[in-house]
Amino acid sequence: MVRSKAPAKKQQKKGIDFKKIKRKIGRKLPPPKNATNTEIKSKAIVIPEQSVAAEKSDFATSKKGLTLDELLKQTSHPNSKIRNDALHGIEDLFRNHPAELQSHKYAIIQKLKERICDDDNQVRQTFYRLFKAKIFPAFKEDSQGPMVSLLMPCIFLAMAASAIDVRLMAFKFFHLVVEYYPPTFSLDAEKILENYKDIIQKNHFYVEDKSKLKVALSGLAHCLSLLPCDESDTESQKKGPLQNQTLHAYEQDAAKECARFAHISGRLKEIVGVLVNCFQDFIPLIHASRGFNEQSFECIRHILCSIGYAIKFSIRRHTQRQTSWLPASEEATLMILDQDIASMLSKKLLGSFPLNPDNNLYGKIDRWYFILNSVLTKIFLEVSEWSHLPTDLSNRFLEFIENTLLGKIASSSKPVHAETSLALLPFVPKLILRVDRDWRDNLLQAFTTTFSNCKSGSSLKLACISIIRDVIIPNGDILYPNASDLTVNNYQSAWVNKLPSLLIQLGDEHPLSTQAVLQLLLDLGRVGCLNTSPEFEDDVRNFFIPCQCEGDVPGGPFASLPREVQELALCFLYYFTIDNFSSPMLSAIVSCCLNPQLEPALLYRIVEILHTAYRAGYIQITDHFSFFITLIARTKVVPEKLQSAMECNERETYCGTYKELTNLVCSYLSEMGDGSLVLQILEKVLVEQIILKPALDNGCAILRMICALDSKPTILSESSLTALSEYLPGYLVDIVSCIPEDKENSYLYIQTCLYYLVPCYFLFDRSSKLTEQVLKRMRSMVIENTKALESVQDKESGRTSLNLIQCIVSVILLMHNDAKVRKIILSSKSEIDLILQNVITLQSRSTSLTVEGKHMMKILGERLRIASKSLLA
Amino acid sequence: MEIYVIASSSIDGGIGCWDLKSGIEQLRFKPCASPAHGLTAVGEKFLAASQLRNASASSGSIFYWSWNKPQVEVKSFPVESIKALAANNEGTYIVGGGTSGDIYLWEVATGKLLKKWHGHYRSVTCLVFSGDDSLLVSGSQDGSIRVWSLIRLFDDFQRQQGNTLYEHNFNEHTMAVTDIVIDYGGCNAMIVSASEDRTCKVWSLSKGKLLRNIVFPSAINSLALDPGGSVFYAGGRDSKIYIGAINATSEYGTQVLGSVSEQSKAVTCLAYCADGNLLISGSEDGGLCVWDPKLRRPVLTFRHGKSPVNNIQVVRKTIVANSNKSHSSWKRHGSALPPPLDKYERSGEDAMDGIVIVDPPPLSDVPAYSSFLSADLIDEQVKELQQQGSAATEIEMERLKLEYKKSLQMNDQWQKNYEDLLQVVMEEQNGGTN
Repeated sequence: MVRSKAPAKKQQKKGIDFKKIKRKIGRKLPPPKNATNTEIKSKAIVIPEQSVAAEKSDFATSKKGLTLDELLKQTSHPNSKIRNDALHGIEDLFRNHPAELQSHKYAIIQKLKERICDDDNQVRQTFYRLFKAKIFPAFKEDSQGPMVSLLMPCIFLAMAASAIDVRLMAFKFFHLVVEYYPPTFSLDAEKILENYKDIIQKNHFYVEDKSKLKVALSGLAHCLSLLPCDESDTESQKKGPLQNQTLHAYEQDAAKECARFAHISGRLKEIVGVLVNCFQDFIPLIHASRGFNEQSFECIRHILCSIGYAIKFSIRRHTQRQTSWLPASEEATLMILDQDIASMLSKKLLGSFPLNPDNNLYGKIDRWYFILNSVLTKIFLEVSEWSHLPTDLSNRFLEFIENTLLGKIASSSKPVHAETSLALLPFVPKLILRVDRDWRDNLLQAFTTTFSNCKSGSSLKLACISIIRDVIIPNGDILYPNASDLTVNNYQSAWVNKLPSLLIQLGDEHPLSTQAVLQLLLDLGRVGCLNTSPEFEDDVRNFFIPCQCEGDVPGGPFASLPREVQELALCFLYYFTIDNFSSPMLSAIVSCCLNPQLEPALLYRIVEILHTAYRAGYIQITDHFSFFITLIARTKVVPEKLQSAMECNERETYCGTYKELTNLVCSYLSEMGDGSLVLQILEKVLVEQIILKPALDNGCAILRMICALDSKPTILSESSLTALSEYLPGYLVDIVSCIPEDKENSYLYIQTCLYYLVPCYFLFDRSSKLTEQVLKRMRSMVIENTKALESVQDKESGRTSLNLIQCIVSVILLMHNDAKVRKIILSSKSEIDLILQNVITLQSRSTSLTVEGKHMMKILGERLRIASKSLLA
Repeated sequence: MEIYVIASSSIDGGIGCWDLKSGIEQLRFKPCASPAHGLTAVGEKFLAASQLRNASASSGSIFYWSWNKPQVEVKSFPVESIKALAANNEGTYIVGGGTSGDIYLWEVATGKLLKKWHGHYRSVTCLVFSGDDSLLVSGSQDGSIRVWSLIRLFDDFQRQQGNTLYEHNFNEHTMAVTDIVIDYGGCNAMIVSASEDRTCKVWSLSKGKLLRNIVFPSAINSLALDPGGSVFYAGGRDSKIYIGAINATSEYGTQVLGSVSEQSKAVTCLAYCADGNLLISGSEDGGLCVWDPKLRRPVLTFRHGKSPVNNIQVVRKTIVANSNKSHSSWKRHGSALPPPLDKYERSGEDAMDGIVIVDPPPLSDVPAYSSFLSADLIDEQVKELQQQGSAATEIEMERLKLEYKKSLQMNDQWQKNYEDLLQVVMEEQNGGTN
């Protein structure tokens, strides 16, 4: 009947229309015999009937043409096949019309939930698949609370059903619910655990079929893993989104998550008892190794995990109560301190460690044993913190831990091994404090091996780093080791010394790991724990030196890291320089600063941090000076001649950076003490730099440094003034020749020139002698070039000479434009006049000039004459 | 009441003192070259400042000045150089933070070193008492901030239990802490800390955790809290004074109050004067500037000298010598100031040593120095009282009798008033019913 449904359906469609019309006509017909009007009415009724039929194509239907409503009705059909088909139909419907599910979700669940207890296995399976594939994923976004509360009563009903298969399906389904909506467990934790206990206790049901037991156990393990037993998650909440917290708010205790689990500890005790017994049942199987298949392995793993979670939770509750002075409740005694549980745990559970097959088998089975042993070890580590276990038992476990960390257990595959190490590592710091000397040394050695062997970007490495922190500075406090105890110290410094090289290995591909390492280094630096070796320093240096620098020098990833990681690195640098400052380190920093790829903000930050270190008295004043001067003199400002729009833009930003840097250095210099004293120290070095004829921008910066420190009248020595007077004319000419005159925006042009001119003005103002000498030199330059123009016939050199003269005149005109400077150069008017004369003679006499040149000279002469006249006025 | 501003510098320029209203410079106390946070007015009765010394000196030094003499009156030489110095509100205790990270607690009246403990791993940069004097907050160059309970510091039992000495340890700053301010919540207050890592952080003392992190464009040297409690002022290295909102919603939510100097000299210290709502800033170039924070403009400027100002305090002057009621033991030394501070903890002199008695809060007319004193000091004072004879008690009796009489009169007055009122009410009611 079901098979032939599709064709039958078509007939039905027609049939329905026809039949119904007929019926209605028939109904209307009998009473009046001659009233024809009613027929029209009946026609009017036909139309909605027809539209229902038509709309059916608009309605979402399943493949078989049934609407949702029809399908839902069919789910409670007495025939199991129809029920099953209906469920399939619903799934099919949702596949094609997802919107249907969204609009009727509660109605659907209301109807479907009864099927949890369905007698037919096939129906239950379909039901489970439907929820897994369609319904739960669709609910993922919106609140699942109401849905779960609809389902839960039925689930509980099914859990207590008499048929074992129904019960198992209920557990399986519940597991699914918890997976999608974890808070389900915390809402009815006690009841749920009770149910689990019941089903696991009746293990005679599954002596043959372990897969059934597995269903219950995996669900239990999942639920128990939801118990809030990890302190780290509350820690992370603590540091989490700061901004959302209110500043002045009263916190209610009731809202706390753990309050919800307040009453389940008695239940947990029972569960642990049941689980341990269940484990006991498995022991012969484990040792037999023949019947030990994947199913039983999974079962045991779930059992052990569940026990582990339960113990962890109870320990955490205990410590929490101790630290926060909560009032003692009925669960005051720690579960594992309970006499019965403790003895059961140590004898029945931990006593069976290590789990080994009687005859050696390799491969998969071996891996299983390893995993089970590692879970057992975790339980041991939790328990042993609180209760004393027999020594030989402890030794067995410790040996296992050591071998795992050393990587000696060859049979295990790599990911499993890494995972196990990851799980065992967090216990190492406490273990080191607890175990006796020999074991401690062994464990330290094993940990060191793990640390150096694991891959640099792996999560294992990350875990190792946090372990190192916990060992050296637990809770941000140095753990003072016994001074006599050198071994621990040696291990610790060995770890610390490896950190910088690790930074270089990590490169810029693992910012998170790099951040962790830097944070650790910073914290170590803050507490003054960096008792370093030379290699350590080398590596730190290399970390900061940019990669592309000078050929074979190994470069570090500092420049290419994210900003916040760089900030951490700089903070570390601060504490590092405090303790072990060296000039190679400083030169590394300088080369880092000179890297043109460096972001300007970072550059300023580096300078600021070094200055802070200087202020705190950790950098010698001479070193600090040399840092500043090297930075200013060696920074390469991009050549001026690049004129294309793009490059011009780029250059401007870079110039801006350099200007900012100059300002920064000048203000720091003036903070360093009495200006004249600082200048006395710096004078020689600065003048040496001047003599080297630096590029325009660098020259300007150096002149600015001098100006910032100098006072009026100048305190510069005679020889420095001479050096300056030799440098300045060329510098002034450079200003005019290098900065392209912007005809459209003359204001901007003058501002740009002024930036370079101002230091000269200050110098002129402070020393009239310098003014005179500079003008004199400029005059002689004009004369020389005039002569050259006259004698040389070469056009090219003629042009340069002409340009030079033009530039000099422009400089004088620029200076003249400034009212204050006009007063300064008034004293040297004679020099200007001489230049003027030269220009005029050149214009009138010279034959070598082109027409264009002559014209230019004429204009210049005219302007100069006006300027010189106004000087007198 | 006269309000004064006192300021000191890191290079010897003495302690300048100005009348805040008139801006007239008062006495200059010399010589003094103190580190940042090294100047404090002890109970506003006299001045104390730790001194910067060259590294070779084996001990630090702390000087006292009385209000009316420009010369140093008392010199003490602690074991190491003291960086930060603070006194509680009453002026009964002085705490000092050393370069090694040790913190010292002295009793002012006797100069006794009550306690010395290892507070930080690097030098202590600032020390602040909470408003109710129950907690001490210390910041350090290592970037950590620790909160100490003055009572629990003396709890030997806890220490033997292996518990940490501090109440809270805040480690989130990545560079040296430069300043800490505390608001009015007593032991449940919020604190704001500034650091060279260019952030200010807001912490809750009751919850012991970080509440806000506010990033500034430059390192912050100093902080001042607005009495409204919703904003704070932060003096930056870039010569700007920033206004930070404590309840900032984003990490970068700061306004600029104003720039102190054009030459971009850093703002080194800030102080807030609640009386008149003025903000006083000190600059790297040696100037002090009084601001009206509401109008955001400077009102007054002082000149301390050429060297950077690094401490400013607003003080209401009270002069110890004029108070005839004070029967403090230091008077016997013939000086207006207490004896110098001890170098080492006295040990085993007598059984009472080191025990601190905490009194209930003092009444308003009880002379200062009678609360929070160590047991033997109280013994001493009891002895003194006994020797002084009954003169003091007689005066006290007279006063009490007078007060009693006044109260009786008051009582009569109230009773009369009540009867009058009753009369009026009755009459009115009668009128109403009639």
